[in-house]
Amino acid sequence: MSEIRLQVQHVSKSFGITKALKDVSFNIYKGEVHALIGENGSGKSTLTNSLTGIYQKDSGTFILDGKEIHPKNQVEANNEGVSIIVQELGTLDGLTVAENIFLGHEDRFVKMGIKNTNAMNREANDLLKKYGFDRIKAGDMVENYNFEDRKLVEIVKATYFGPKIVVIDETTTALSQEGREELYKQMNRIREEGNTVIFISHDLPEVLRMSDTITVLRDGDYIDTVKSSEIDEDGLKKLMVGREVTGDYYRADYGEKVSDEVVMSVKNVTVPGLIENITFDLHKGEILGFGGLSESGMHEVGKACFGASFDRQGTVTLADGTPINDIPTAIKHSIAYTSKDRDNESIVMNQSIRDNIVLPSLDKLAGPAGMQSDKKQKDFANKFAAEMSTKMQSVEQFVSDLSGGNKQKVVLARWIGADSDILVLDSPTRGIDIKVKQDIYQLMDRMRKSGKSIIMISEELMELIGMCDRIIIMKDGKISSELPRDPQMDENALIASMV
Amino acid sequence: MSGKVKGYLILIGLVVISWGIFKVLTPHNFGSPRNLLSYFEASLLAAVGAVGFYFVMVMGMFDFSIGANIMLSAIVGCVFATRFGLGYFGLIVGAIVTGMIVGLLNGFFYVKLRIPSMIVTTGLALIYESVANYIAGGVEQTLPSNLRAFGQMPGNLILAVIAFVIAYLLLNYTKIGTYTYAIGSNEFVAKNMGINVNLYKVLAFIISGAFLGIMAVLTISYGSSMVAVTGMASMSRNFVPTMGCFFGVAFKKYGMPLPAIIIGEFVINIIFFGFIALGAPTAIQDVITGLALLIVVTLTTKVTKGEIVK
Repeated sequence: MSEIRLQVQHVSKSFGITKALKDVSFNIYKGEVHALIGENGSGKSTLTNSLTGIYQKDSGTFILDGKEIHPKNQVEANNEGVSIIVQELGTLDGLTVAENIFLGHEDRFVKMGIKNTNAMNREANDLLKKYGFDRIKAGDMVENYNFEDRKLVEIVKATYFGPKIVVIDETTTALSQEGREELYKQMNRIREEGNTVIFISHDLPEVLRMSDTITVLRDGDYIDTVKSSEIDEDGLKKLMVGREVTGDYYRADYGEKVSDEVVMSVKNVTVPGLIENITFDLHKGEILGFGGLSESGMHEVGKACFGASFDRQGTVTLADGTPINDIPTAIKHSIAYTSKDRDNESIVMNQSIRDNIVLPSLDKLAGPAGMQSDKKQKDFANKFAAEMSTKMQSVEQFVSDLSGGNKQKVVLARWIGADSDILVLDSPTRGIDIKVKQDIYQLMDRMRKSGKSIIMISEELMELIGMCDRIIIMKDGKISSELPRDPQMDENALIASMV
Repeated sequence: MSGKVKGYLILIGLVVISWGIFKVLTPHNFGSPRNLLSYFEASLLAAVGAVGFYFVMVMGMFDFSIGANIMLSAIVGCVFATRFGLGYFGLIVGAIVTGMIVGLLNGFFYVKLRIPSMIVTTGLALIYESVANYIAGGVEQTLPSNLRAFGQMPGNLILAVIAFVIAYLLLNYTKIGTYTYAIGSNEFVAKNMGINVNLYKVLAFIISGAFLGIMAVLTISYGSSMVAVTGMASMSRNFVPTMGCFFGVAFKKYGMPLPAIIIGEFVINIIFFGFIALGAPTAIQDVITGLALLIVVTLTTKVTKGEIVK
């Protein structure tokens, strides 16, 4: 076995009364990709954020190459040889690509207080070229690039100085296949150079393929460290959940006939620059899937059905002929929508779970003269939070304190509470662990059986295949193909019409 | 077309349009080359203050004590120059140091009290006004004619150009500039990059204060005297530098915030002097100027569809 790079010793961290990490200890070695897995709220990100100075741990030590480190921020962590690529956007608007790459490390370009922009740009351009990201220019403002390219800038920023440990925190969910390949290449390079990658991902096949060693956390506890070559997906699931993941993960039925009754009809819908001439019908009790590359326009289809698109042309009508042209009409007519960008578009972050759940149901909960009852709201929120088995202290807890999966449960609880008949779910399981995923799939199946109709937009092809009665594949803003539910269908059939 | 070229074309378009409108309305007493030069000279005052205030505004903070700062700095500078007999040295150093102290106090109370900058600076403005009034002894402070070189060409232009160059260097060639944009973009990430956010916020107020100090020198030199008003009357001085700063923020996306502030202030002055040439009553001038502000900011600030504006 190679030498120990990082010793995690008795690390604990609490947020209020929530114990996010409980006396966690394990070792990470040189020249390995070490995956960190666990359900949402298991403590993976808390651990890496403590290692990289984003959080301060309550107790315990991190020993890097025999020396204890306690960075107070990312730059100090960088100086110790530890860097991180975060899940969401980590670059800053208003700065150039080069300024983003060297943020916090500008001193080497500063002489007598004056920054040598040319030298900084030159070096950044050299780095971008070395990484094969020539199309990104150091002197350009970073906001001129799309999410994916900005992630590539982050990869350069986190790795150019040859850190001993690079933490990659659920970055792959935000990337297309091309971006992922780029990231994998860099992970392999870091490993070959004898350095270490700590890799956090919910995608178990990806974890098994990319990592050498896997450490499992559950509810803040250290569970086990295993060799990737000695375990399979089911074994990992068992370690993560603490029991055998039994029953059907996806729906098990095939060949059930979907009702002929159309509940929503979308005709010739165009949103300039995003989608073009989209036409389809959604039937009662149907799960209709939309797949494609991230930029294929499928996410806009969801917005268009909810009346949330700008400059939309064409029509979206319900069975009774009601046109859906704006969000209030959509909600009034029992349409629900969960956005891919959960934190910014679905959740009111600095409000309580209760406030979030009751939001679209306030009219229903109103008493005489429109007065709201505290008790009624609490009972309502409690009922639906419990139905989604949301992990929380009480419904008065702020949503910002919840893990990603539990936030998603709050979003879904809101729409179940509103008793919506048509649900437009955009990436409902994005960044969510298998246990919550399974809960969501089962919920969708129950809803389908009770006559609710669901539009499921997803970048995960397997869940589309497993859950949908019909899959529409989008390409360049248009419908590229439509496939019925079929037990023989595999990912390749879908990929062929996506690219 | 590059962003900068587009930005300059829009600004030059605004200059030509605003000049053209008033030239048609009042062809004889407005808009000759000589007139334009004097409008430009007048616009330099506020432009200097605005380039400093830009550091504060880009970070997402606000300052309602701009007017009080200018007033206090001008009075202290004048007192140093005349009562203490320190001449130009006293005028410049007195005003700039006072401006910086005011900036330091604004920044210090803002980061320590953790309440919105708008409220902190409004509260402090009342105090600065009272201090200015006390120093002036309630009497109008006049700068003698032998100390007014910065009120006319070329003194005013030289001082303003020095100020613009310093602002340009600070913004583009120092860490302060990079951190200003980083904090304005996402304070949390900036903090994680090891940036001492509070320190740089205080620094932004100090820089802003220094430039407002220079504006104070130009203002008292141009107008020859300063009255220490109280009861928030100094607020009226906030308007023009703030408006120029809006130009800077709006044209940031074209990569030319400072030229936008300078040309923007020129446009504001063309409109202002245009109304004077027309003989429009003050109330009408205020209405039109207010509308012009809304129109300019609306046209130049491109809000993405769906973006939330607060």
